[in-house]
Amino acid sequence: MRTFVAVAIFGGGIAHATLGPALRIADVAPDIPLIMVVLLALRRGPEFGCGAGFVAGLLQDAASGGLIGVQALTKALIGFAIGALGGRLRVSQPLVQVPGLVLLTIAEGLSRFALLKLFRFPAPFGELMTYVVLPQALYNGFLGAALVLALAWAESTRPRTRTS
Amino acid sequence: MKIRAIVLLGTVAAVCLMLLTLQMRGSIAGASDVLAVVTTPIQSVLARVNRATVGVWSTYREWKNVRAENRRLREEAQRLRVEALRVTETVEENQRLRRLLALKEAMPLTTLSGEVIAREWGGWVRSLTVNRGRADHVSRLTAVIGPDGLIGRVVDVRPGASIVQVLTDPASTVGAVVVRTRTQGIVEGEPRGTLRFKYMAREGSSIQVGDLVVTSGAGGLFPRGIPVGRVRAIDDRGSALFHYAQLTPAVEFARIDEVLLVVGEGSHDVAALFPGATPGASD
Repeated sequence: MRTFVAVAIFGGGIAHATLGPALRIADVAPDIPLIMVVLLALRRGPEFGCGAGFVAGLLQDAASGGLIGVQALTKALIGFAIGALGGRLRVSQPLVQVPGLVLLTIAEGLSRFALLKLFRFPAPFGELMTYVVLPQALYNGFLGAALVLALAWAESTRPRTRTS
Repeated sequence: MKIRAIVLLGTVAAVCLMLLTLQMRGSIAGASDVLAVVTTPIQSVLARVNRATVGVWSTYREWKNVRAENRRLREEAQRLRVEALRVTETVEENQRLRRLLALKEAMPLTTLSGEVIAREWGGWVRSLTVNRGRADHVSRLTAVIGPDGLIGRVVDVRPGASIVQVLTDPASTVGAVVVRTRTQGIVEGEPRGTLRFKYMAREGSSIQVGDLVVTSGAGGLFPRGIPVGRVRAIDDRGSALFHYAQLTPAVEFARIDEVLLVVGEGSHDVAALFPGATPGASD
């Protein structure tokens, strides 16, 4: 499990820039590290979510060539928030997962935009939301739900270890 | 909420903001270089894996497409082959029937067309069964011809069919003449399915390979001038009374499907209906 977590955080952050384009549909690529951070934060809580978000975002920043720290901060915030609220949400239902991930992606996009605006980011908000954040949010929602289902299926097929 | 978690979040936020601020001021240009030391090799490996995976996937898809296309083309080729065979068969049949019809119309004899419905091709007997019999007024010893020449004679008449003894039957004999030299002789069938021309040595000294042999009309059984075969080899038996010439049959017996039965008077000379069968004609 630890290996999986390490691969998910470190690999996901870097893999996003390399492998993300392969998953592109109509020029929209999913934010795989964000989905990973959300899933990990839901299972491990706010501290882990915060740390995972920071590392994944930092690596994503480095890999994508943007300002280092932007996605590290936004993903750390998302990880922390979802980790803190996760216990109160019924996240096992796809009807919650899809809109949940959509909303989280929008929230991450908004916070990233706000942060970048502090550093004089020039892109207009409307266009950014219409053409980048919203399509990606929808994609994340469905991909995340599929991933959750796949993980649940994998766990159900895994042989249980007995404890005496 | 644990204090530790809030402290962690605060620290992360502070670090990120500090990083951003320093980057904007250009103070820590090396920060991305440090991270690149970690990210670049991993990215290279991942890119390679990605390319390999995409390559394998593309190859698989191409292979699948090629396989599907191959199957489709095979089916189409098969269909076209069958169609081509059918067309060729129809064209060939059409040509055969046209030739037979032309011969029937030009023939100054009463003829009856028939279709070959069976063949006996063993060494003992060589015969064809034609779908014309007693009901069609076919009689025994009726001459049977095709567009290329003589086929044989009817040896047995049944209600709906006739048995035709083919020239290559070992029991078959036909009076014949070499067109160029007018050498008289007898064409006999041989057990191995070939024809030989038996002639008197003193009359056939000038026979050459390639000479056309036609029916002589002697005996009135066969019309005169129907091609029987061409001299393939001459068997000179020295001082013997008779010499022999091996003949290549004018008709390809194995491929006959339609025939004409000469049901009328058989003493006419029909050499003019067959190319090269008249004396002096260039072969």
